[in-house]
Amino acid sequence: MADESQEITLLETLDHLLDRGVVIAGEATISIGDVDLLYLGLNIVLANIDAVARSSQK
Amino acid sequence: MKWIVIGAHLQREDVEPIANVIPIGDLFLSAVAIDDDRPLGDRDVLMQVAAVRAKLLDRATFVAIRYGFAVRDAAEATSKCGGLTTRWRALLDAHRDEVEMTLKIATAAPAARPDRHAFSSGAQYLRALHANAHTADVDPGFRDGVERALVPLTTQHRWMHRDRSSMELAMLVRRRDLENVRDAGEKLRKEFAAVPFLLSGPWPLEVFADDHQQ
Repeated sequence: MADESQEITLLETLDHLLDRGVVIAGEATISIGDVDLLYLGLNIVLANIDAVARSSQK
Repeated sequence: MKWIVIGAHLQREDVEPIANVIPIGDLFLSAVAIDDDRPLGDRDVLMQVAAVRAKLLDRATFVAIRYGFAVRDAAEATSKCGGLTTRWRALLDAHRDEVEMTLKIATAAPAARPDRHAFSSGAQYLRALHANAHTADVDPGFRDGVERALVPLTTQHRWMHRDRSSMELAMLVRRRDLENVRDAGEKLRKEFAAVPFLLSGPWPLEVFADDHQQ
C-alpha cells in the first residue's frame, strides 16, 4: 500500500513537471522511456501528445 | 554546462541556496545545472529537478516553467523570457501567498479512444483525440460535492478536461487553507467512496500561469 502510494505520488509529480506550467519557446531533443509521444519544436518544448492537442486547439 | 530552468521567482532569496539563480529583469529564474552531453530525459535529472522544485515551493510560490526549457546563460534566458516578466511579476504579486492544488477524478464512463485508422490525416486524428477528451464527465453528485466542499476554500478554480478518462479541478488555495482543503478531500473520500479521485499538491503556479489554460 505504501509502495502504491509512493508510486502515485511520483507519477503525479512527474505529470506536473512535464505537463504543467509556462511553455517557453526553445528547441530540445528529448525522449523518455515509453512516454506516449514527446513533441519537439520551436514553440512547444516538451509535452505529451494530449497536451499538444490541447495547445493546438487554443 | 546548461541550465534547466524550473521557475520564475520574485526574490533571489526564494531560490538560493536551493537552486542556481539566473537574474532576468527584476525577477529571478531558478535552475539546475547539468553537463551539456547529459540528456534532459535522463531519469536522475528529472528526479533531481522534481525534488528541487518541491523545495523551492516550500520556500515561496513561483511561476512554474514546463520541464524541458534549458539555457546556456542569462543572456539567452533574457532573450527567450524577457517578454514574459511583466506578466510573471503580476502573477507573483497577486498570488504570493497561494499555491495550486489539483483534484483528478476518474470519469463515470470513459469514451472509447478514436481509431487512428479511421482518419485520413494526423491533424484530423489529433482533433478527434482532443474532442474525445472533452466528452468526459464526472459523477454529477460528486461534482456537486466538490463544488460544496472544496470550491469555497479556493480563491480561483477551473474545471478542465485533460483526457478521455478523467477530469481535473485546478484550485488556487491560500497556503493557510491547505490543511482545510486536505480535510475536505478526506470527507469527500468518505462520502463518495465509489468515486476514484486524487487530491494532490501543493504545486507552484502552473495552470493559473499558463496562457494555454486561460
